[in-house]
Amino acid sequence: MINTLREILEAAVDRLHHQVTTYLPSTLAAVILLLVSYVLAAAARWFLYRVFKGMTIDKFLRQSGVAFLLDRSGRLRATRLVAETVYWAILIGGFLIAVSAFDTDLTNQMVQGFVFLLPKLFVAGLILLGGAWLSQYLGRSLLVWAVNENLPSPRRLAAGLRIIIMFVAVVVAADQLSFARNVFLAAFIILVGGAVLAISLAVGIAGSQSLRRLIEEKREQRESEGERSLWTHL
Amino acid sequence: MASVTLPHEARQAAEVIRRADIVIGIPSYNNGRTIGRVVQAAYAGLAKYFPQFSSVVINSDGGSTDNTREAVLSARLEDQHLLLLNTPLFAAHRLSFPYHGVPGKGSAFRLIFQLAARLEAKAVAVVDSDLRSITPEWFDLLLRPVLFAGYDFVAPYYHRHKYDGTITNSIVYPLTRALYGYRVRQPIGGEFGLSTRLINRYLQRDDWETDVARFGIDIWMTTIALAEGFRVCQSFLGAKLHDAKDPSSDLTAMLEQVVGSVFMLMQEYEDVWWDREGSRPVELFGFRYDVGLDPIEVNVDRMLAAFVRGCRDLGEIWAAALEPETHAGIQALGRQAAAGVRDFHLDDELWARVVLDFACAFKKHRVAGGHLIKSLTPLYLARVASFVGETRTLVPDQVEEKIERLCLTFEQLKPYLRAHWDGPDARNKASRKSERAGPPRQDREVSRND
Repeated sequence: MINTLREILEAAVDRLHHQVTTYLPSTLAAVILLLVSYVLAAAARWFLYRVFKGMTIDKFLRQSGVAFLLDRSGRLRATRLVAETVYWAILIGGFLIAVSAFDTDLTNQMVQGFVFLLPKLFVAGLILLGGAWLSQYLGRSLLVWAVNENLPSPRRLAAGLRIIIMFVAVVVAADQLSFARNVFLAAFIILVGGAVLAISLAVGIAGSQSLRRLIEEKREQRESEGERSLWTHL
Repeated sequence: MASVTLPHEARQAAEVIRRADIVIGIPSYNNGRTIGRVVQAAYAGLAKYFPQFSSVVINSDGGSTDNTREAVLSARLEDQHLLLLNTPLFAAHRLSFPYHGVPGKGSAFRLIFQLAARLEAKAVAVVDSDLRSITPEWFDLLLRPVLFAGYDFVAPYYHRHKYDGTITNSIVYPLTRALYGYRVRQPIGGEFGLSTRLINRYLQRDDWETDVARFGIDIWMTTIALAEGFRVCQSFLGAKLHDAKDPSSDLTAMLEQVVGSVFMLMQEYEDVWWDREGSRPVELFGFRYDVGLDPIEVNVDRMLAAFVRGCRDLGEIWAAALEPETHAGIQALGRQAAAGVRDFHLDDELWARVVLDFACAFKKHRVAGGHLIKSLTPLYLARVASFVGETRTLVPDQVEEKIERLCLTFEQLKPYLRAHWDGPDARNKASRKSERAGPPRQDREVSRND
């Protein structure tokens, strides 16, 4: 009984010893690599904040509206964008190197999978950013136009358009990542089909009178503007 | 120079005519009802006041589907039964061409200017084709300062109904005056006299394909003349009455083109206006007299409804465009308008801040340029509604005093504009600019007009 217990304990201690001698150096190496990458990332960020100006990128960010898209105050500058990107790139690179220090099948697969996924993630990110920009731009176009044309519920119209565009962007991004491709596609078709059907029914059954009234009002408005057109704004 | 060549038939005509001392340009689009009279006035003006000069009347048409071009080519001076004491030494030519490029008044002017440059004209006058109050004297008043007094740019000065020209009165005149320091009362009047020097400068520019091609042309011409040190004066033309057909039905597009051009030029001429303070009068030619004007109906309720809609739905854009205090002021007014307050009042200072904030937001690209200026429409209508309410019982001189007060408010807010133009760095920039900038180029010339 005592012998059996001793054998079990010895085996456990051996296993622990084996695991410690096998993984402790790797863990220590990984921690050191993580620390080094953090220090490098922080140093690179500090350096870029002081050295990099990127005025052309600033101009592009401002003129394209991306600066206000990513930061409501519009204070996003190329310096911050580049410094933070480099910081996170070094940090993620350090993490991957640290993980690969274990040199096991699992960690190698993880690193490999992440590296393969990286370009797709980048493209998907760009698609989402483009979608966000387009949805904001077209949503605002519709909003301003609808307000100036005195159409009903301009904000809802604009919000609807934004949702549709963002949804399309998400579907395309998910397709790029091969993530729940069929689910998103089916949801998209159901949503768009359902929306079209709902609008058709609403206009056909309940909205035709309202639509006729709206068109009539617009026509009368135009005619009355014609009558008082001696008034010129210029 | 941006490369747009003259249409073949225009080039051929220029080769036949070879030279002309005076060019009169008339842009048109479906103005068959009025353009004949404008052409007759041009002919009579040339015959009466400039018989010793060779001249051409050019109609630049935007593809009219009525009889506009036929009306130009068939207008006869003889129908007017004028007694002319001088016999013109040269017969005035007349040409009518469709212009190419972006449809709009600016593109029409471009063709006229290109032809004028090719004909080596000494002076050019441009007039709108929908005018009902034009007389032969207008051409004397627009051309004489250029031909005989060395001016480069003659702006019109008219009597207009107090509700007429509201973009001019509420935005363009006060802002242009505060920026460049010159009191050109009708900077987007539509009738101008121009020298060859200035025409050549216009043709050198490469922004003809922007809003300048459309309604932005008038303020573009005026601003370049003011900002680049050309000699500028005004001529009193009497009353301005248009044809009942008015292209102002799409207010938003017009506002976008005019205000967009003002804001675009503000950025280009930042170094010019930055240090200018106050304003000076600009010499005015012509005998001033009072005239009767057509009554104008305006629907204030509809304007206020548009403003209330804007407050309700455009808050997101206005919040990005306006400074927080200005935005709060507008929202408070919106609540008043929605509650149906009887005496709606958008005061001068708040309005001036709105315009200046929009100019700064346009410069900083806070919101896409088109969205930004289109979202100004409800605010502009609120200002017009307020102006109409406040001036309902006022006589023209009192209305003019009110516009003068608005202009002074814009001038007083110039430091506010400078402080917000570039954000937090503006103060440093201001000191840098004042160190390197000399006195404004026009100051010496303008001081003669004081």
